[in-house]
Amino acid sequence: MRIVATDCGSTTTKAILIEERDGVFRQTFRGEAPTTVEDPFADVTLGVTNAVTELQELSGYKLIADDGTIIRRASVNDVDGCDMYISTSSAGGGLQMMVAGVVREMTAESAKRAALGAGAIVMDTIASNDRRKPHEQIQRIRELRPDMVLVSGGTDGGDTKKVIEIAELIAPARPRPRFGSEFCLPLIFAGNKEARTAIERIFSGEGFALSIVDNLRPTLEREHLGPARERIHDVFLEHVMAHAPGYDKLMEWANAPIMPTPGAVGDILQTIAKGRAINVVGVDIGGATTDMFSVFGGIFNRTVSANLGMSYSISNVCAEAGMDSVLRWVHLDMDERELRNRVKNKMIRPTTIPQTLEALVFEQAVSREALRLAYVQHKAFATTLKGVQQQRTVGDAFKQEEAGKSLVDNMALDLMVASGGVLSHAPRMEQTALMMIDAFEPEGFTEIAKDSIFMMPHLGVLASVNPRAAMEVFEKDCLVILGWCVAPRGEVRAGKPAFEYTLTRGGTTLAHGQLVGGEMRLVRFALGESGTLEVRPEKGLDMGAGAGKPISREVRGGSVGIVFDARGRPLKLPHTQAERRACVEKWLKSLEVYV
Amino acid sequence: MQIILSVAAARMCAATACAALCAPLCASPSASPPTPPLSVTAADVPWDAGGSIEISWVPAANLGSATTWLVERSEIGADGTSGPWVTVAEVAIATTTTTAAKLSHTAPYWFRVTAVGSDGSSSPTNSPAHTTAHRNFFIGEKLPLFSAILTVCACVIYFILAARKGRPMKVRRIAALEAIDNAVGRATEMGRPILFVAGIQDMDNIQTVAGITVLGHVSKTAAEYDATIEVPTSRSLVMEAARETVQASYLAAGRPEAYNADLIRYITDEQFGFVAYVSGRMVREKPATCFYMGCFYAESLILAETGNSIGAIQIAGTAESSQLPFFVAACDYTLIGEEFMAASAYLSGEPDQMGSLKGQDAGKAIASVLIIVGVVLATFAALSPGGFATAALGALRGILGS
Repeated sequence: MRIVATDCGSTTTKAILIEERDGVFRQTFRGEAPTTVEDPFADVTLGVTNAVTELQELSGYKLIADDGTIIRRASVNDVDGCDMYISTSSAGGGLQMMVAGVVREMTAESAKRAALGAGAIVMDTIASNDRRKPHEQIQRIRELRPDMVLVSGGTDGGDTKKVIEIAELIAPARPRPRFGSEFCLPLIFAGNKEARTAIERIFSGEGFALSIVDNLRPTLEREHLGPARERIHDVFLEHVMAHAPGYDKLMEWANAPIMPTPGAVGDILQTIAKGRAINVVGVDIGGATTDMFSVFGGIFNRTVSANLGMSYSISNVCAEAGMDSVLRWVHLDMDERELRNRVKNKMIRPTTIPQTLEALVFEQAVSREALRLAYVQHKAFATTLKGVQQQRTVGDAFKQEEAGKSLVDNMALDLMVASGGVLSHAPRMEQTALMMIDAFEPEGFTEIAKDSIFMMPHLGVLASVNPRAAMEVFEKDCLVILGWCVAPRGEVRAGKPAFEYTLTRGGTTLAHGQLVGGEMRLVRFALGESGTLEVRPEKGLDMGAGAGKPISREVRGGSVGIVFDARGRPLKLPHTQAERRACVEKWLKSLEVYV
Repeated sequence: MQIILSVAAARMCAATACAALCAPLCASPSASPPTPPLSVTAADVPWDAGGSIEISWVPAANLGSATTWLVERSEIGADGTSGPWVTVAEVAIATTTTTAAKLSHTAPYWFRVTAVGSDGSSSPTNSPAHTTAHRNFFIGEKLPLFSAILTVCACVIYFILAARKGRPMKVRRIAALEAIDNAVGRATEMGRPILFVAGIQDMDNIQTVAGITVLGHVSKTAAEYDATIEVPTSRSLVMEAARETVQASYLAAGRPEAYNADLIRYITDEQFGFVAYVSGRMVREKPATCFYMGCFYAESLILAETGNSIGAIQIAGTAESSQLPFFVAACDYTLIGEEFMAASAYLSGEPDQMGSLKGQDAGKAIASVLIIVGVVLATFAALSPGGFATAALGALRGILGS
């Protein structure tokens, strides 16, 4: 079987070729070309054809017909053509949505979760308690030019009054769609079923293309996002894509519905988490935004940190984190004034890449803070449902936990996947691994991998039509396994023993050692190798089996190896600059980061 | 008391008479009566509430057969007339001071001291002048308490000033109060009312006052979310207070037109009549959220179980320790004792209230430290009497005035 997959990004269209060889699916060739959705070309398929042409040149198979379309094979024995073509798209800024609900923390948040999970960028969330006056809300709705609106509110059989009030704010405000002035703005209603008649009345003949799906919060105890997400995908294809230049042709070519890029990334992570029964965190750090994905206990969440990025948003990262926070990761002497100039330069010239070691160290320090802040935002959003009844016993008198607890638990985290320029294109794998460890502070045993050529979107769509192929390519070609981070939860005492480790394979000890508080150590464990790692933490430190209890786990090798981190969690750096710098330098040296 | 004094006086008289009558018969060169004290002085005890005079005397060099001192007082002038003399104390011969207590702070007193021994009693030595037990402005023994009050007040003032200057006052997260917004939000989403019960006591109960304070915050949130809040009360004054509070909250939320006084109503003073009404109302109306904030007794479990059965989020708060287990088991969140009283500061976040809360915490911390130190010292003093711990415990007692 031969599959061609493309991802039409804002600037580049990336194509990959996946082939089944000896019963195993592998990604074999890759090509890319500039995206052609904007003028003067105004036809996305031109870019797709160019990217697939590069695949054709590299592979030697004829994939593009004379009329520019993708050739399909009549049988698997044919040399030329492919069996399947799939695509994702984030061209033209991706899918941009406005969502609304009755209470910001309840139905409005569920609506936001549905939109983000479907791969959209949420431009604004309107709610009855968003502390804005109705005229301010109307003004905001008028200013936005979303591709789609999702309205929720009220449980089934619950409130209708506030739902209708929100609908009555949106209807007269008449937000204009981004594409096509004569095009009716798609509006999905996923709220109280008893309000449907009123909603139909309000949005009839008002320039809206209304579609009604099941309530995404039928009760406050249950979130039912599936129908809303599916409808968002459908509407994205039927309305938004149909109005984007060349997408009508692209949809005809594709064997599976075209998906928004982040939605596809989310799908593949969910497939992997489900298939391997693990908890996953994925990050895609871009120039303007950082996308964060997580699957904990089977629950998928995605957040977009709109102002955290490495080029357009770098200035905001420095402002939000503070220059001191950024510089705490730097072990070299740097002039703060010069760094500020460097930040601004990066902002206005986003394609520049570091030319000196100093510039690289600084950029990677900024990326740590961008990732850290994005993760904090993600943890705050990925929570259990709010407004839910709690069950208590008398024993809970002094530990009454609130609803809305974060689902993200670093100790339960099994796999971290890094993607995005600063992580994927770091000169050394050790740099990517350390950036991820410093920013995310994983606890216990955590595998670290990177998606070096950002193949996850392609695989997300592929998972919808051929899950086996998606899984195999994901495991073998998509992810570059960097290794493992092994770190205890708890406060360590500098210089005092933190934990002991023993790495064995088939009864042979491969590595054994002890780490003291504040130390990091790298044990090389090559890709393809596997073994059993036993760790014995000191009293008060937890590796996943409980404080002070030993634990062992099967580990696989990676490009970096096993990183033992005895700095403690939460991670604390020394207060004085000299001590901090010495510590960072020691860690960098231990992990051979800038060798 | 009078009888004891009379007996003492009789014994004194008998001893004097016996000494006079039997002296020629019983006297021997070695059996002479004890020598009286050389001088007696009396002075008002300073730093007290009045009523005490300290008497001291100078014993003679040769006390003879004296074994005790008999100290007596009289309210009648010492101008030749005597008595009636009332015994103040009979103390061991080694002692040279004693305190006469429970005296009038207006009357003058004279004192005399007699040495008493196996060979009879000496002649008494009188105090040279009368002494009055004056009341003092400060009571010395209350000084530790005064110091403690000053310390706590200083802490409160310090934290209030610090809070006013913008110093962040960290207060532990109280889940029950954090959950108020979600509870009100639930009622909004479900299109059902919120029920607030401020206990069954009147406004003279501090818990009712605390409950009404929480009502202010809940009703403001309800006004912002446009949710309906019902407040049944069992006291008419509580109803009035609740109405004013809720009205003020709706005004503060910018929605005065949404305030409905009819939803805050008086039911009955009768405990179970009130509970029957509230429970019935809960079953019929199925409020999405129930608040129980105030003083509750037997009705706590009835209300909380009814609320639980209708699927409402319930937040309770009371200082009645006997009712807390019921609320904890049946409600989603419970404010326990002090948390309930601190709710006002926690919810408002006003610097003065937060500073006051922190100041009180500092006072409690000091008291806790003293209790722990006292327990440790008392334990060691019991294990090894007379050691350092005993001395330290004595010193601590002295400092604390106990």
